[in-house]
Amino acid sequence: MRSEKLASWRLIEYTTIAVEITGSIALGLVVAGSILALLGYDPARGIFLLVFGGLRNPDYLLSRAAFIAMTALAFSIPLLAGVFNIGGEGQMYLGGLAALLAAVYSGNAAVAILAGGLAGAALGLIIGALKAYRDVNEVVSAIMLNLTLFYVIVYAITAELYDPVAPHESIKVPKGARLGVIRFGGLKLHIIFPLMLALVAVAYYLLYHTKLGYEIRASGFSPKAARYAGIDPKKTSVYSMVIGGFFAGVGGALNVVGFTYYIDNLLTCMYGMGFTGIGVALMGRNNPIGVALASIFFSMLVLGGSRMQMLMRVPKEVADTLSGVIIVALSLPYAYRMLISYIRIRRMVGVGAEQHS
Amino acid sequence: MSAGKTGTKIAAIIIIIIIIAAAAGWWYTTTRPPAKKAKIAVLFDVGGRGDLSFNDMAWLGAEKAMEDFKVDVTYLTPPSLADMKPLLEEYASSGEYSLLVLIGFLWTTPLNETADKYPDQKFALIDATTGVVRPNEVDILFREQECACLMGIAAAGMAHTLGGDTVAACAGMDIPPLWKFHIGYLFGVKYYDLKMGTTTNFLWTYTGTFTDPSIGKEYTRGLLEQGAKVVYGLAGLTHLGSFEAVKEWHKTTGELVFAMGQDASQEWIDPEHIPISGAKRVDVAVYTAIKMVVKGPWEGGIITLGLKEEGVGIWDIDGVKWFAEQASSAGRLAPELTPDKVADTVSQLRETYITPEVWDLIHDLEDDIKAGRIVFKTPMTHDEYESIISALMAAQSLEDLNVALEKGSVS
Repeated sequence: MRSEKLASWRLIEYTTIAVEITGSIALGLVVAGSILALLGYDPARGIFLLVFGGLRNPDYLLSRAAFIAMTALAFSIPLLAGVFNIGGEGQMYLGGLAALLAAVYSGNAAVAILAGGLAGAALGLIIGALKAYRDVNEVVSAIMLNLTLFYVIVYAITAELYDPVAPHESIKVPKGARLGVIRFGGLKLHIIFPLMLALVAVAYYLLYHTKLGYEIRASGFSPKAARYAGIDPKKTSVYSMVIGGFFAGVGGALNVVGFTYYIDNLLTCMYGMGFTGIGVALMGRNNPIGVALASIFFSMLVLGGSRMQMLMRVPKEVADTLSGVIIVALSLPYAYRMLISYIRIRRMVGVGAEQHS
Repeated sequence: MSAGKTGTKIAAIIIIIIIIAAAAGWWYTTTRPPAKKAKIAVLFDVGGRGDLSFNDMAWLGAEKAMEDFKVDVTYLTPPSLADMKPLLEEYASSGEYSLLVLIGFLWTTPLNETADKYPDQKFALIDATTGVVRPNEVDILFREQECACLMGIAAAGMAHTLGGDTVAACAGMDIPPLWKFHIGYLFGVKYYDLKMGTTTNFLWTYTGTFTDPSIGKEYTRGLLEQGAKVVYGLAGLTHLGSFEAVKEWHKTTGELVFAMGQDASQEWIDPEHIPISGAKRVDVAVYTAIKMVVKGPWEGGIITLGLKEEGVGIWDIDGVKWFAEQASSAGRLAPELTPDKVADTVSQLRETYITPEVWDLIHDLEDDIKAGRIVFKTPMTHDEYESIISALMAAQSLEDLNVALEKGSVS
């Protein structure tokens, strides 16, 4: 009896999600198509290239998804605990730099990725602890740290770590410490993609099959109820930031050790990918599996945008706008639900407090 | 109906079909354009178009080539540095384009790692070099010294007319193209001094960035406090801050100072304070590369463009006006200005503050360079660059300036 009810709830839930996603995609495509038509481009061809143009280079598509998925997890795990981690950007920079240094000194990719993750986690710890124990708004401290770290790393690359042959680039990751590609016949795949899948699986296990994951989700739903159940929501939020920071740091490490093999002095190899992670996390509905799918979809839009520029002479700004429209459309339903439930909880807590007094 | 009749009927139908097919085929092949247009792709660095300078000029050259050679040119701005290598490999391996034109030094490493894998794909790298000579790659560089030395003469001339004795430059990063600017600029200033019998203080500062106007403003304010009358902007977006600093200095102290632009004509940004800009014609470089593929002869290696090839120089009033028109149609020109007004203000400033003797000096040196009587050295290492600079700083006679020259001499 109970399991039947649960099954019917699940069915309703999945149907809603399916309807929402189809509706979002349709809405996004209609808006994007109208923008193209207004600007005088062929909307059908444009949309086709934007969505499917990236498929002709699957390795590039999947590799690019790998580090975006990491920064998306960096946003979504703290969000489940009720903390906004805007610091994925800075955590990624620091992770990338730590990975580069570790790779140069140890010559080992695993050490480099671990170093990147730990650097990001340390940064997450600072932001999370300031929030939990000193009530410093995590958004403000994260944004300030992002900016500070950007310049510190620009300085480090320009002044200390530059490559004498090409001064705008850092020293390269040594050959032995690079994560290469797997080849089957004519096909190739960067190792960072299967690595990303493994990390996503770890995140999923952590969130849905461990005590810590349960505590994170419980304190996100309602800190008060969590405390009643014997969970310390403050401590949990700090843990969630540490884990989030770890993933962002690994993202930076995967970029540097597994794909680009150096950092340029303006950080353009990572710039903006932390913020992109926020959109991808919402698009993936804060679920690790959703995040993995969303990062691949996002990567399709990025590559498709390039293809559209190349074949239709659409300016980059227009291509970016169109991907933006589709991403916002896909994130809207989840963001809306989140907002509604947040307001509802607030109201319930408010009503409860009134009755109590 | 006999079997034979059916046979002839079928044969007749087949013949008719063949004739129709042949006719259609003939029509199809003759009415289609006889030769496929050559396809060329321009790949920008992450900045992309819309800067009204380096990248927009590159596209200008591509558009001109499109018209002149009837080629099909398309362009792409990669989303980030991490995307440059995979995109380059994708288009090199597709073989769709007869030439890939890569704009800017960010492409150096991606190209260096890609070019050998695709020997049939031609590449042109603009304003940078991989340092490797390959048959399928041409690197187009500029002889920046030739433009900077003329700007140095103009700057020194203007500083003295303004009643000062100090010229300065706000430079980007300590990289080879800037070394060449430094040598040329200092050469020009010293040349002026030794010809005119004056002493000019020379200030050169590296800001370490090409993208931060606020840093440019800060550094330029420092230069003006040290008495600089003319500041040469050599730092891309960073020196847009220099223009602001110069304007503010005039407003707050009442003392007129000038800035000089580089690459595109930048007079339109503030014609009251920018009388002159050095030209670095990225458009000519892109055009040259496309021409090499379409008209031939193609030869891999390094090409340099100087005054003679019109790859560098000083923007004339027509150029100033043209850029002001572009700025105006992009909505970037200040509302109180028109392209004509910009051109008028600038030509008036040039007349007032660059005296005929200074123009004579500029034109004499320009003629010598164009005729190939004078060729500048290009420093290969940082040490060589520093030794040329310190020798020029200590120069006591015109002969001492020859340290910066590969060929010829000034007297």
